[in-house]
Amino acid sequence: MIHLPLMLVVFYLAMAFITPLLGRLKKFSSRYFGVAVSAAGLLIVGATAFHVFDAGPFRYFPGNWASPVGIEIVVDEITVLLQLTIAVIGFLVSVYSVDDLDREIDERMHNWFYVIYFLMMAALNGLVMSFDLFNIFVFTEIGTLTACAMVAIKSKRVCLRAAINYLILSTLGSGMILMGIALIYMVTGHLNIGAVAQVLPEATEAFTWNVRIALSLFVVGFGIKSALFPLHLWLPDAHSSAPTPSSALLSGVVLKVFIVVIGRIVFQMFGVELFVQIPIPLVILTLATMGIFLGSLFAITQTDIKRMLAYSSVAQVGYIFMGIALVSARGATGGLLHIFNHAVMKSLLFTAAGAIIYKTGIRKIDDLNGIGYKMPLTMAAFGVGALSMVGIPGTSGFFSKLWLALGALDAGQPFFVLVIIISSLLNSVYYLPIIVRAFFGGGSGKFTMDQLPWKMLLPLVILAAINLYFGILPGSLVRLAEQAAAIWLH
Amino acid sequence: MISTIFANLHYFVAILLFLIGFHTMLTHSNLIKKIIGMNIMETSVFLLFISVGYVRGGNAPIIDDQISAYINPLPSALILTGIVVGVSLTAFALAMVIKIYEYYGTVNTDEIMRLRDGEE
Repeated sequence: MIHLPLMLVVFYLAMAFITPLLGRLKKFSSRYFGVAVSAAGLLIVGATAFHVFDAGPFRYFPGNWASPVGIEIVVDEITVLLQLTIAVIGFLVSVYSVDDLDREIDERMHNWFYVIYFLMMAALNGLVMSFDLFNIFVFTEIGTLTACAMVAIKSKRVCLRAAINYLILSTLGSGMILMGIALIYMVTGHLNIGAVAQVLPEATEAFTWNVRIALSLFVVGFGIKSALFPLHLWLPDAHSSAPTPSSALLSGVVLKVFIVVIGRIVFQMFGVELFVQIPIPLVILTLATMGIFLGSLFAITQTDIKRMLAYSSVAQVGYIFMGIALVSARGATGGLLHIFNHAVMKSLLFTAAGAIIYKTGIRKIDDLNGIGYKMPLTMAAFGVGALSMVGIPGTSGFFSKLWLALGALDAGQPFFVLVIIISSLLNSVYYLPIIVRAFFGGGSGKFTMDQLPWKMLLPLVILAAINLYFGILPGSLVRLAEQAAAIWLH
Repeated sequence: MISTIFANLHYFVAILLFLIGFHTMLTHSNLIKKIIGMNIMETSVFLLFISVGYVRGGNAPIIDDQISAYINPLPSALILTGIVVGVSLTAFALAMVIKIYEYYGTVNTDEIMRLRDGEE
């Protein structure tokens, strides 16, 4: 039982290793194998989650070396929340890609897509539970490489251009992160986050600038990887040109994991005092606000549906950063809630858009008139996601925004309530017209069933159901997010 | 002042190399040069890490009665991993540059941006 967290990473790495070997078999289908592995991953994560709910958070030391000497793995509510998000989205996307991959990726590359996918899952799961700076660096690098590869795997020149931009900017971020780790190691002599946190107050007095520069380097480095405005330049190209399953994973999961790592490093290592002392929260809040507005404004001007969704991610990531930078317990709860909710709604929207492209080949928003009659279920699911983005009560997006607004009031900054309200209006400007177009913009007026493979329809319906469920009964999710936020801020 | 700089020369060199690499990555439009900049930047951090673990007059950390000072082996071990990560990044980036050259016929980002009109 207690070995489960490590097993999860090892399991995905092992699966990544044997996939090309199994690919040599005649009757091997990597797509069904991908579904099976994701389901197994979901089971492992579920078992870990039950253990945490039952017996509380725990720490795991590989090889039984205690913490300053050995590597520490921490499984707390933050880990559970993120791992559940990763596993659920990963599983549903793998079901979706069974049929979608044929259209998107060359037949020869299918095995390699799953190798990359398993490696990415290993890296993301490792990132959210490792409590050691150098481990975080290595997992970050694996995550970055595989995320770039997921964009580049579709052999089109747009994808390659997007992937190389992504890679170069990400590597800049990695360099900064490694520099930050070096500066921290220099003044504290530790790499374990807990051990660093213990000696950091002393070290800060002796080497103030070292520590401050390290903190800034971490925030900027991970900020690039999680597309904090204005470091988001790589995102729209990469997320819109990637194959749909990759887009759903990249927008839904990968960005959030890096934000959580920022939260861990800032709150659990540097401590709130230092974070507030050099006004990094103020900087992040300003950038997040600009990201929320400008991301939405750019999204409004887009004509391509996937590009619009990618720009919308820039805005949504702004909300999560805002939740962290408000430095109030309810704000952080809102941010963590939005991590899960946005993961669900953005992968829902991307897979719905992918289903439309799969069936009709339409990418332009202007051509979507009357599509709701041809694909009613898909567009209904898309509508749930879109309403959730706007934050209509009854969808899960409402609650993350509510908690963010409460957090802003707790922090004594009611201005950000206004930001949330105005940005919700902006969101509705680009999401609602699509629904109106789909159902009222002409078309036959007669509903016909979506004629999509059920493996594509099922994830859509499940994602929409999850969204509605947590929009009506958010209790359990909010409790988990509150417990997770309490680890950072009391 | 001068003596402080000389005593901490490795830090200054590391920061200088970091900035050179950073600058190269951001300003050059040639993708190969960008990758070289990436390598310079990573190497500078490796240098900083290794120099942190160095103890003046220290020996390799193999326990022996006659030796009193050892260098810190942890940074060296970490940087070994760091080098592996750096190599895989470089390999991946170079592989993508080859592909980009196949598709665009150039490795210059400015020209690639110019060629993007009319695709998609």
